[in-house]
Amino acid sequence: MVKKRTIWPYVLVAPAVLIILCVVFIPVFNAIIMSFQNYDLRRPKEIAFNGISNYIAACRDPLFKGALFRTIVWVICGVGFQFLLGFILALLLNKEFAGRGVIRAVSMIPWVTPGVLIGLMWRWIYDGNFGVLNDLLLKIHIITDKVPFLSQVTTAFPSIIVTIVWQGIPFFSLMLLAALQGVSAEIYEAADIDGASFLQKLFYITIPSIKNTIFVTVLLRVIWVANSVDVIFNMTEGGPAYSTQTLSVYIFNKGNALNLGYASAMALLLAVLLLFAAVPYLRLNFKEEG
Amino acid sequence: MRKQVDIKQIVCVYLPLVFILLFLLFPFYWTFITSVKPEEELYGMVVTYWPESITFGSYSKLFTTTVNFLAAIKNSFIVAALTTLVSLTASTLAAYAFSRYRFTGRKILMCTFLCNNMFPTVLLLIPLYSIMRKLGLLYTHTSLVLSYTTFTIPFSVWLLLGFLNDLPMSLEEAALVDGCNRGVAFVRIILPILGPCLVATGVYIFMTSWNEYTFAVMFTNTETRTIPVALKSLIGQLGVQWDLLTAGGIITIIPVCVMFFFAQKRLVEGLTAGAVKG
Amino acid sequence: MKKQLFGKRTMAVITAALMAAGGMTGCSSGNKETTAEVTETTSAAAAAVTVASESKEEQTTADEIKPCEIKFRYWADNTDYSQLMQDIIKKFNAENGKGITVIGEESPWDGGAYSENLFNSKMGGGDVDCAAWKLTSTPLFVNNGLLADLTPMIDAWDKKSEIDDNIYNIMVEAGDMQRIYVMPWNIQVLYVYYRPSIFKKAGIQVPKTYEEFLEAIEKCTMDTNGDGKTDVYGFAMRGAKGGQEPWGSFIYGRGGSFEDLTTPEAVQGMQDFIDIYQKGYVPPTATSDGFSEIIANFQSGLAAMTIHHTGSSKDMEKLFGDDVSAFPFPKGKGQWTSMGDTETVIFESCENKKAAFEWVSYLAAGEGQKMWCEGTGNVPVSKSVQESDFFQNDRFMKASINGQKFAGIVPILDTTTEWISDLWPNTVSQALTGSITAKQCMQTLQDGLYK
Repeated sequence: MVKKRTIWPYVLVAPAVLIILCVVFIPVFNAIIMSFQNYDLRRPKEIAFNGISNYIAACRDPLFKGALFRTIVWVICGVGFQFLLGFILALLLNKEFAGRGVIRAVSMIPWVTPGVLIGLMWRWIYDGNFGVLNDLLLKIHIITDKVPFLSQVTTAFPSIIVTIVWQGIPFFSLMLLAALQGVSAEIYEAADIDGASFLQKLFYITIPSIKNTIFVTVLLRVIWVANSVDVIFNMTEGGPAYSTQTLSVYIFNKGNALNLGYASAMALLLAVLLLFAAVPYLRLNFKEEG
Repeated sequence: MRKQVDIKQIVCVYLPLVFILLFLLFPFYWTFITSVKPEEELYGMVVTYWPESITFGSYSKLFTTTVNFLAAIKNSFIVAALTTLVSLTASTLAAYAFSRYRFTGRKILMCTFLCNNMFPTVLLLIPLYSIMRKLGLLYTHTSLVLSYTTFTIPFSVWLLLGFLNDLPMSLEEAALVDGCNRGVAFVRIILPILGPCLVATGVYIFMTSWNEYTFAVMFTNTETRTIPVALKSLIGQLGVQWDLLTAGGIITIIPVCVMFFFAQKRLVEGLTAGAVKG
Repeated sequence: MKKQLFGKRTMAVITAALMAAGGMTGCSSGNKETTAEVTETTSAAAAAVTVASESKEEQTTADEIKPCEIKFRYWADNTDYSQLMQDIIKKFNAENGKGITVIGEESPWDGGAYSENLFNSKMGGGDVDCAAWKLTSTPLFVNNGLLADLTPMIDAWDKKSEIDDNIYNIMVEAGDMQRIYVMPWNIQVLYVYYRPSIFKKAGIQVPKTYEEFLEAIEKCTMDTNGDGKTDVYGFAMRGAKGGQEPWGSFIYGRGGSFEDLTTPEAVQGMQDFIDIYQKGYVPPTATSDGFSEIIANFQSGLAAMTIHHTGSSKDMEKLFGDDVSAFPFPKGKGQWTSMGDTETVIFESCENKKAAFEWVSYLAAGEGQKMWCEGTGNVPVSKSVQESDFFQNDRFMKASINGQKFAGIVPILDTTTEWISDLWPNTVSQALTGSITAKQCMQTLQDGLYK
């Protein structure tokens, strides 16, 4: 750890900081200003500062509350299962077996698939009349009637969660697989000699050795999933009856309707909430560094 | 004895692997089947798991009609490759600085980077468009590269930071004690060890720019269209052109998978390579 | 110590500079590039003056069209239409004789986000000169001063009378009630598709009244193989985005109207809509069915009737031959069907508006009109094109032209776009699934539209 005064770190971070400042600083600054105005481009003549009324309106908006609740469920279930399955896949892909390279490559497919296609393909799979999922479930007698997965308030949201889980598994498996490469084989050998079980090795060696990567990937994924729009939008557009409208979709809809003031206010609220979620990790991170 | 090991291998590795892969790959299989199904079969009352008659018409149509998919693939590759190059370089440097130096403004910068990705892009479009126009970058690859890097850099910095913090620091410290300066230690020791993580981060950056739609539709024109925009143009008011859309999807997926197949070989080389050189 | 100071200072300077730049860009983008526009117009005016003074002998030149490039943005519903548009552009460029070069720039329809993308780029100072258009986004663009007033150009146009006054009136109502900002291009009139073979099996005739239509929906819902489950539904209902078009016909069928959605008649129409869903006369997927789904349901034989326009008639004929026909939405206490629309606009920022007008009028009444409408099966706005044999001999076109006299559009207000894409589908699916009543639903829709 270098604590000496030196210009080097500034030089090293400069390219990254410059690119970001050049491009997003102005738009984000703009958006923050807009959140304190009734900035509705459909009525540009009425635009004026209105203090925090957008924020108050959001807190009173039942749709906002519903969307917030769904965002929490969406993030916890989505990221939770992505991580779990991704971690299992990473552990499996870290073992030696025939055809590993090919399997590693094809397991990336959900991630490679363009977002436009993901939504449409899954909608097609879930289709209540011609969908393959219904056909499969009927064939193995799990259901007796076709289920209109995306058309019912009760099934639509779980269905799209399955899709986001599907899409996110490769991210975790790849990142965790990369981190696993840094764990030296000698520790495992030593543990084997001591007769440690698989679970003991998992919890006492593997997880502690890659814990920083686990924290970071989960945190980044939470941010990403909380802000993701295209899967939901391409599958249900937030419907039926708002049952799949997360905060990000609600913001997207308001943004598309050009009610940018209200959309920005909600976006800032979401950002603050995400920051709160990140605080425990940041604290831990900075504390460990001393 | 040998047989037992094999059974254990099957139960513990192959079986779960098959289940996960089934889940991961079925939609891909279904996309492929849809792309070779004739349209009558698509909306049939009976779902067919293997088409009664196969047609590859949609694949040739993709390159001969107005979609101009070849150009879109080329554009996507250029944009994704450039973005990967720029953001991987910038973020490796920044992540190294964050993990090995303690400097004023470090924590604020790190938090800013984290917050950067918390803001939905839809709200930034008008000013961003205006900036791109003023810089004269509209309809060029650069505009996309620039806007993608702003979203991939913060993410990659944090990812790499996570990886760097997990790496054993003993090797690097040993090199420093031996009198290497920091730059040499970075190139000789850190980069090789970080290899797998750089590959993983690079893949992340590549995928993000490969799949991005919102900026792509704003900042490109007919000549610079990328794949997501080309695919989206197959969904009009009169429904989805399933054959073309799925064929386009398959063509998009395969080259990237092949690329990844070669990239993943680097995943295992990292630590051993570093250890040898160290 | 020194170095650290230096670092801090540099960063502060950079941040300050960026903030200043940010403030500036922020303002100018907020004001739609006013400054840039002003300078541009001044220089354009100056140029015009020089041109005028240089060519004093030929007074008319200033009024004539100079060779120029016109950027035209459009969307294509499929690759065939895309090709067709490129052909029309090619033909126009070759034959206009005024040196106008139209540059076509295709943009995805994107479920209607086409208009928002266009808006974002125009607000950011984009250089598109004219574009294909949907009437619903007119208030947004007009309120932001982005559209050129076409009234003088249309008044001076030799083919003005080719287009019915009624259509011009709709264009005026969508704008600021005084000027025409939107050039008509083609329309689509919704009608009911039905399968004669299913009607025969159900033992019914083509319905003549709204009540008969509801009855037909019920009677066509059948269990054909005796397993106790419905195999054929009476009607393929559109409950997702865009469903307000067929839905409007139900509201008017009971005597309601868009002016006041809360009248007992309108609520009754909504109740009919809910009833056919809850009684199982439409596929259970209706709450999320969009255009592709209702057409798939109809084309697969799952539904006996659905509502759409001539845009899908070619596919229908290819698939069913004679076993598909159409009738206009029947009359109840009232009668209404939705008129879909596609127009063109010229932007205020366009420097060669006259040249752009040549192009959009070519699409409205010239060869472009004929080629486009014949190729896509849309109803032409030009009377002479309408009268040609191609459009007179088609049974679907006939159902469209018969429906034209009671066809209308959802009121075009600045709230309409959000109402269509967000409020309508979600509120109606709440009503269909029973979480709100017909009355509550109509109240929400009324409040959302007339906000």
